[in-house]
Amino acid sequence: MITVQHLTKRFGSHTAVSDLSFEVGAGEVLGFLGPNGAGKTTSMRMVTGYLPPSGGSVAIDGHDLLKRPIDAKRRIGYLPENPPLYPELTVRQFLGFVAEIKDVPRTRRHAAIDRALDRANLGDVASKRIGTLSKGFKQRVGLAQAIVHEPPVLILDEPTSSLDPKQRVEVRDLIVALRGEHTVVLSTHILPEVSQVTDRVVIINRGRVMAVDSPQSLSQRLRGREAVTVEVGGASAADVNDAVRPIPGVSGVHADACDGIVTATIESAIGTDIRPEIARVLAARWRLLALRSESLSLEEIFLKLTEDA
Amino acid sequence: MRHILAIARRELRSYFVSPTAYAALTTYALLSGFFFSNQVTYYIRQASLADQQLNAIGRSALQLDVPTTVLEEFFKQEGFILLLVLPLLTMGLLTDERRKGTLELLLTSPIRPLELTLGKFVAALTLVGAMCLPTLPFFYFLAQGGAWEPGVVAAGYAGLLLLAATEIAIGLFISSLCENVLVSALCTYGVLVALNFVDTSASVARSIWVDFIQFLSFFFHYGEFARGVVALRDITYFAGFLALALFLTQRSIEAVRFKRS
Repeated sequence: MITVQHLTKRFGSHTAVSDLSFEVGAGEVLGFLGPNGAGKTTSMRMVTGYLPPSGGSVAIDGHDLLKRPIDAKRRIGYLPENPPLYPELTVRQFLGFVAEIKDVPRTRRHAAIDRALDRANLGDVASKRIGTLSKGFKQRVGLAQAIVHEPPVLILDEPTSSLDPKQRVEVRDLIVALRGEHTVVLSTHILPEVSQVTDRVVIINRGRVMAVDSPQSLSQRLRGREAVTVEVGGASAADVNDAVRPIPGVSGVHADACDGIVTATIESAIGTDIRPEIARVLAARWRLLALRSESLSLEEIFLKLTEDA
Repeated sequence: MRHILAIARRELRSYFVSPTAYAALTTYALLSGFFFSNQVTYYIRQASLADQQLNAIGRSALQLDVPTTVLEEFFKQEGFILLLVLPLLTMGLLTDERRKGTLELLLTSPIRPLELTLGKFVAALTLVGAMCLPTLPFFYFLAQGGAWEPGVVAAGYAGLLLLAATEIAIGLFISSLCENVLVSALCTYGVLVALNFVDTSASVARSIWVDFIQFLSFFFHYGEFARGVVALRDITYFAGFLALALFLTQRSIEAVRFKRS
């Protein structure tokens, strides 16, 4: 649905984005991650056709953004970091204007506005002036304008960055509700948001792509080892250590006891699954209270990739 | 065309939601009425004086034709009032879109920069048209006195709208360059005052340069319309300026996207 190839943006001698390439399939949600100043907004602006790239190409649903900009833009719904709103208009008037410039036919316009109001949960404020609304509602109006013409592609640039936690959850839920219907590119630096919503992530830093993959695959690639954490009752740290060390594949054990419960991290080589054997050995002798695989969190992946650069 | 009308309607709605349109309409109507009544009063005094001279000495050298004494002066003053009001109407046309971030919405929508330019232009020109409407009854009163000169009035309004259209296009272009509405208004005042009155510095001697500077003046060309003369030269002059300013605005909108923000 979205094909980005070798996208580059230079401002004078400064290269804001360098050789950015990725693809997003229909119905997929792609997270666009990077620290502040990494080039996320510049990338989003190029993908939406606001900024012309210095090099490379963008195709939306097969339409080249540079060669057929009108056709490509018709298929994009875009919410910039600061929602583009006319405070003097009511929510309904504003959505009517956006529907008109986004080429929604007159006969379908009313229904399209009602649908966008409903999806963004704005029914109660439809006749209020945008300038009188709270920040959370304004963000919802921004989202409603992005979906009013039912575009196949949604580009959301930091949609929750300036919201309080409650508003953030509301907007996040709305984005979750939109997945499947739209191909979504979600730019953010709020990592929990990405892990909850996206299928794959693009991590960029200083205008360069550091990784493109699912959070799970990235975790696997970057951790360098498998690790399992267990909690055992009725044993000492030495007992657990002695019991699991002979298991084939185990490369290291770190066990500590606290209040009669031993917590141990058992390491093995990448690609080996030692969980069944550990569970069998420990459960046969003591009370096995917990057993879980450890993986790198998105925060750790993000830090690892952006700090290594 | 659909996009142009959508943008124009949205702009007009914004004009009328804020006090801008009402202030412009009221100011324009009051000043127009004031100048018109002054001209009519002046004409009546001249007529009375001419009567006295005729009775006393049997002749009068006073000029008493309505097109010269009332209409020409009235339309010239209308042009001057327009100069005062227009920069305030055009200052935010594109500057505000940039300030509010809505330019990003417009330029990522399937509309062309030319449609955006024309939409803004049509909105401002429509408002100016609405500003002129309250001046129409003036000529009804004039007609009651038997001094109705429809040709001169039509030429005056045609010139006024052509002048307004050109000045709006220039204000729109300046608005596309500025990030601050006050700077936009001040620059528009500067450019329009210079273009209107550039000929006042060139009337001392006659040379090709004096003629050229005089030719550049808006008021020089507009004065012809105010006198009731519709000449192709003056129409071409304003149309050329208008097209150039709209073209530059469109290019300027495209150039905004190349700037780092």
